[in-house]
Amino acid sequence: MERVLSKITEVTSDPYAYVTGLKERTGKKVIGCFPMYVPEEIVHAADLIPVVIWRGNESVTWGHAHVPPYDCGITRSFVDDAVRGKLNFMDGMVFHVRQCLQVGEFPLIIERNVKPAYQKVLYLPPIYEGEAVRSFLLDDLESFKTSLEDFTGKKISDDSLKKSIEIYNENRSLLERVYEIRREKPGILRAREVMQTVWSSMLMLKEDHNELLKELIKDMEGKTVESKGERVKVIPVGCLCQTLQFDILDMIEDLGMIITDDDLYVGSRYFANKANLNGSPIEALADRYLTKTPLCPTKGVWDIHWGDEAIKKMRDNNAKGIISIRVKYCPPHTCYYPDFKSKMVEEGVPEVMIEMEHEIMSLEGIKTRLQSFAETIGGV
Amino acid sequence: MDIKYKVNRLVTTNDIRPMVDKHWADLRTAKERGEKVAWASGPTFIIPYAMGMKSHFMAGYAAYCGGIGAADEVLKVAEATGELSESCSYHRLHMGMAEAIKQGIEINPAAILPMPDLMVSGRLCPEMSHYAEGLYRRMNVPVVTVELPIAYAKEDVPRVKAFVYRQFKEVIIPAFEKVCGKPFDYDHLSEILTVLKKAATIRNQCWEFFKDKPSRWTLWDYGVSIAPVFYLMGKPESITYYEKLLKELQERRAKNIPAIAPDGEKYRLYWDGWIPWAFLGKFMRKLIPNGAVCICGRYPWEFFMHPERLDPEHPLESFVDAFWGEDSPRCFSNKAPKGSLELISDLIEEYSLDGMIMFSSKSCRLWNLSQPDMMDVLYKRHGVPGVVIEADMVDASMISDSQIDTRLEALFETIDGIRRR
Repeated sequence: MERVLSKITEVTSDPYAYVTGLKERTGKKVIGCFPMYVPEEIVHAADLIPVVIWRGNESVTWGHAHVPPYDCGITRSFVDDAVRGKLNFMDGMVFHVRQCLQVGEFPLIIERNVKPAYQKVLYLPPIYEGEAVRSFLLDDLESFKTSLEDFTGKKISDDSLKKSIEIYNENRSLLERVYEIRREKPGILRAREVMQTVWSSMLMLKEDHNELLKELIKDMEGKTVESKGERVKVIPVGCLCQTLQFDILDMIEDLGMIITDDDLYVGSRYFANKANLNGSPIEALADRYLTKTPLCPTKGVWDIHWGDEAIKKMRDNNAKGIISIRVKYCPPHTCYYPDFKSKMVEEGVPEVMIEMEHEIMSLEGIKTRLQSFAETIGGV
Repeated sequence: MDIKYKVNRLVTTNDIRPMVDKHWADLRTAKERGEKVAWASGPTFIIPYAMGMKSHFMAGYAAYCGGIGAADEVLKVAEATGELSESCSYHRLHMGMAEAIKQGIEINPAAILPMPDLMVSGRLCPEMSHYAEGLYRRMNVPVVTVELPIAYAKEDVPRVKAFVYRQFKEVIIPAFEKVCGKPFDYDHLSEILTVLKKAATIRNQCWEFFKDKPSRWTLWDYGVSIAPVFYLMGKPESITYYEKLLKELQERRAKNIPAIAPDGEKYRLYWDGWIPWAFLGKFMRKLIPNGAVCICGRYPWEFFMHPERLDPEHPLESFVDAFWGEDSPRCFSNKAPKGSLELISDLIEEYSLDGMIMFSSKSCRLWNLSQPDMMDVLYKRHGVPGVVIEADMVDASMISDSQIDTRLEALFETIDGIRRR
């Protein structure tokens, strides 16, 4: 297991170097896909390397001249990375501009300051009623495919797209299995290791990641975990678009709680739902996108309450509480949160909300909140 | 000797408040008269209007709350009942109002609206979906949802327009037909467009008076005059209002009366972003003594800037076309950063502007992220400097007097410096 985890740590501790190396090694072009819903399979089928754009590893510096302090962490960090030239290894970038207002403002900044050879805007509509939504979504995906074909000068056949979907579906199955084993053997991996495992999937070639996961799963299946006493289970929820500070995950576990599942973007949300391979591959990707769960506040789902979904996950895991991780200045989560909280109160579910920023946070303040939460749910 | 600048107030703009008050009062009392009520975001309110319903309009409600001084108390209710201050202040205003109704919290009665028979969530910006979803979850109001994207590239315009049209036709209209129990009234829609077209055409004539040097009116005068070409659309008074305004501006030109005394403005400014509805007076008091007048902006210019495109013979098609059609970078796509650059460039040239104020809303993230880059492009292109002012449209806790003063001072000094070269 150490070999795999060490590889995953290598990938995620310096994604810039890893992806640059990957590009050199494969001779393929890299396309940065801004989280959360760019269908990477189409990029993969174009024989390009899709990587999910990440929150950077340094404080914002030059970016301050381009982005106000009241935009979210990944927005500020991404713009900073971009204007400093740290993302110059990316040959292209794709933005789903209807996801939130901040993503909608990227194209101009990137065009001026990075000038990637390929840039594409996707509209991907929310999951609203009416045939027009699906039809517009299909047009959008076709347009994406065509733009990549124009960029590479090569057609993307249905077969190659199906092959890519198959590889991505396999990755999803393997990540699901990692989560399943974690549920069976709580503590087999630290929460940060699980997050790194998912994050590495966003950075590596999926074929390579699949091999890595197979080895990891084999190791996990063969490993027994000593029970360190009954630790109280909690479910982290939220943290849309970006990685959570590993320190916070460590803190949760060090305070006597244990994470057996999650509802995080760099977590179970990323690999949820497979694309159905029967029929047209573009339609399969559209249908996957149109799946209402895991519920995302950016996708306009009305008839399902995020709070109910989170409570279900908590109960399925026999967990005792929910830790909401809200990225500061994330409007979709911020607007939904009051109703999420009300649902927790209504259902008598213990819940605490932690705010996360890209840069310095008062870890001591977070620790105090988590500590009292742990005491409340009987963890300490 | 320092010049003492002073606003020459327009007489016509005094007519706005009664018109706007009447709109919201009619809405508040609609149910007493047995009328149906809609709530709407984006320009979707035209559909309930065509059905003879009274309708709220999301941004209009926020502007109204700001204008009547009710925003503070409604925002306080929102925060006291769980809203987070980072979220859109328009969103918070609606949540505050809903909670005030639900929990019986006393607020300015003019800020309380009747619950809708149908709410249209026109997702012009994602926050418009969030507010409608929040109201649905809390108040269980019936909702119809449509996505109203902004085209980012010219080649995307046809499919975006077709998508929007289909949703009006296939989603919004049938939903209102169901609520009202009658077929959609295309004839009334045509009547509304006929009035709107005339009002917006006269409004465009009024815009010409911004080109005068000195300008005959200010952007704030126009800001308070937007309602007749938007959520007061279709009312005959909207034409009367603009006819009267045009006449007053013509008289000003004939008598050489400037927007600000004694001899007109020293600085002609572009205003980017939302209009700060609750703080118009505050900004006036900071701009006018310096001889500065805001002349135009991309947001106030988005309301049917091409009225010739409105065709009452093809009301729905032309209404959608006016917002989402070809040339819409000059109309609705001015929200997409790249399209806006060309619009602002044109405005700078057409209206002979000296500087730019980029109003960066702390609670609305539309525009604020690309403003510094836009400022840079425009400065290089036109030699017109700009400053960012960080504030909010209605939330007083996000406004800093000293920041506004410092930034404006810097802008005026920069313009002076450029003039001395």
